[in-house]
Amino acid sequence: MAKNSSFDKKNPLLQAVASPAGRAFLALLLVLALGLIFNGDGAFFKMGTHRDALRQASVYGLLACGMTLVIVSGGIDLSVGSVLALTAVCSAQMAIHWHWSGWLVVPACLMIGAGCGGVSGLVTARLRVQPFIATLSMMVLARGLAKYTSGGMKVSTAMMNADGTYRYVDVPPLFRWVDNRILGGNVSMVTLIFVAGFAVAWGLMSRHRWGRYLYAIGGNEEASRLSGVPVLAAKTGAYIFSGMFAGVAGLCQAAQEQQGDPEAGAGYELIAIAMVVIGGTSLMGGRGGIGLTLLGVLTIGYLDKILSINAVPEAGRLMLTGVIIVAAVLTQRRSRT
Amino acid sequence: MKTANLPPPTPNTQSVASLGTPNNWMPAVRSVLFVLCATVIFLAGCNQAADRAVPSSPAPQKQFTIGMSQCNLGEPWRVQMNADIQAAAAKHPELKVIFKDAQNDTLQQRAQIEEFVSSKVDLLIVSPKEAQPLTEPVARAMDAGIPVIVLDRRLLGDKYTCFIGADNKKIGKAAGEWIAKALGGKGNVVELMGLQTSTPGQDRHSGFLEGIAGSEIKIIFSADMKWLEPDARQEMESALSRFDKIDLVYAHNDPGAHGAYLATKATGREQQIKFVGIDALPQEGVGYVRQGILDATFQYPTGGAEAVDTALKILQGETPPKEIVLGTRRFDRDNATSGGEIIK
Repeated sequence: MAKNSSFDKKNPLLQAVASPAGRAFLALLLVLALGLIFNGDGAFFKMGTHRDALRQASVYGLLACGMTLVIVSGGIDLSVGSVLALTAVCSAQMAIHWHWSGWLVVPACLMIGAGCGGVSGLVTARLRVQPFIATLSMMVLARGLAKYTSGGMKVSTAMMNADGTYRYVDVPPLFRWVDNRILGGNVSMVTLIFVAGFAVAWGLMSRHRWGRYLYAIGGNEEASRLSGVPVLAAKTGAYIFSGMFAGVAGLCQAAQEQQGDPEAGAGYELIAIAMVVIGGTSLMGGRGGIGLTLLGVLTIGYLDKILSINAVPEAGRLMLTGVIIVAAVLTQRRSRT
Repeated sequence: MKTANLPPPTPNTQSVASLGTPNNWMPAVRSVLFVLCATVIFLAGCNQAADRAVPSSPAPQKQFTIGMSQCNLGEPWRVQMNADIQAAAAKHPELKVIFKDAQNDTLQQRAQIEEFVSSKVDLLIVSPKEAQPLTEPVARAMDAGIPVIVLDRRLLGDKYTCFIGADNKKIGKAAGEWIAKALGGKGNVVELMGLQTSTPGQDRHSGFLEGIAGSEIKIIFSADMKWLEPDARQEMESALSRFDKIDLVYAHNDPGAHGAYLATKATGREQQIKFVGIDALPQEGVGYVRQGILDATFQYPTGGAEAVDTALKILQGETPPKEIVLGTRRFDRDNATSGGEIIK
């Protein structure tokens, strides 16, 4: 987490509110207050609403975790939405059509994600292509791969017979397990997967030397190199992890849709970036944290849900979301003194 | 002369030298090589794909070549349209169909129509992406003596041989009428709408309102799910937590109805609610009905088979009607296995 305890030591409460975490928390509280006022005939007070809000934010949240690693290191990963689609298609192919067990599908998804991330990481770190361009290329390439492997069709439980008719196979146990609810139906499994992913990202960033390297590289890459930080490996690693998070997100997406859609995840990368930035992580790199991203994920997730239970028309939703993102980022900017 | 006014040329040694060094040329050479390699590999792949797409048929009688310009094979429904054309054409050995996919790019589709015209196909089937920019290329094909069948989306004016398409308003109305009957004239309905800035989304909504007019059916919750299953699931979750009594979900496409079903199943209320979708693709909506997920789906026909029939008539010298409006088919629990029921 970013620490700026260097100023204003007088009032501990003011200090807490002025910290990036405090500001991000304030934004979340404001959104929740909005939900208390516009509660959709009491729907906001039902347990199920919160479970659904968290379920829905989980796929974005997984992408945002990986995105945080990359953004802190001073880069950006535009490819996550397409990598999600690629792994969604591949996992559906493996689990539904090839009947692979979860013990094979999950590592395979991680490998696919890591492969995509590794390529864009190497292109960025080794070949010195700007991250925006490198991951933009991967975004297009992975989307093409997703369409190629799926033949342009959704990979679903419908399988074509030789004579052109269709037969239907069961939804694989892995998908059922991922799209399950536990603890008396109060928590979605995908939410727990997100929490686990968050814990991994937190451990890497706050409890591991590699996380410190990422901050150092994001702050000043040249200085880090001269101080002996393994820049190439650390930077590539950030993209590999971002790809792996996208791989897990793709599996969750496929499980929830019970099919692999090659068009899935279009525009998700921008939502993930918005979640990271609303939390207070700087797009310039070197400043921010995974805890802040969690607050950003909750803020956008709840905002979506509140607009949805009130049946706000699409045009209004887009305008409101835009205004709230700008407002949240503006409050963050003041903390950079 | 202008050059006379210029200062005497001073040799810029630095730039000349750097231009000459291999180091500065290498990136350019490398990228050119890279692009060349990529293009060769890509084209090789394309050729294979093209070979596979063209049906091989013996030529016992007079051969006709039909060019089919598809605007976007990224959509499953359009993949089905091509498959329908291919299947219908396979029954007529004298027909050979060449497929081209414009990948959702208007200018590419225009170029492909022009390619078909210059290769002098006997007939052109066009499923246009947009009306305005493609009207003129089609008119020029007509001028060159090639009859044109326009599929699904309309062009401006009337310079084409025949238009074949479905009517979303009619389909929405058929769905509305069936829903009114299925609910006994009253009930609470959730409507999950397709992108409301698109004509199909608007027509499936207004047709539905026409269909349920006069009944006591209330639309208690409506949301724009933009044709997307994840969005439909999310909106349905909101509807479920807000309303305790929902009788039916009407979604503007089958993935939307499927997403709503999954959201409902998670709450255990799927037995109390009926689900109705539109499109009825064999691997999607019809499958959902047969699996007991949807109660009914209404077909948005591709017109592929009708296009081939009409093409044959034109090639044999008949004059087809200027416009063929396709009917819909309802697939419900009783008739999904037997091919649905035609609704005029």
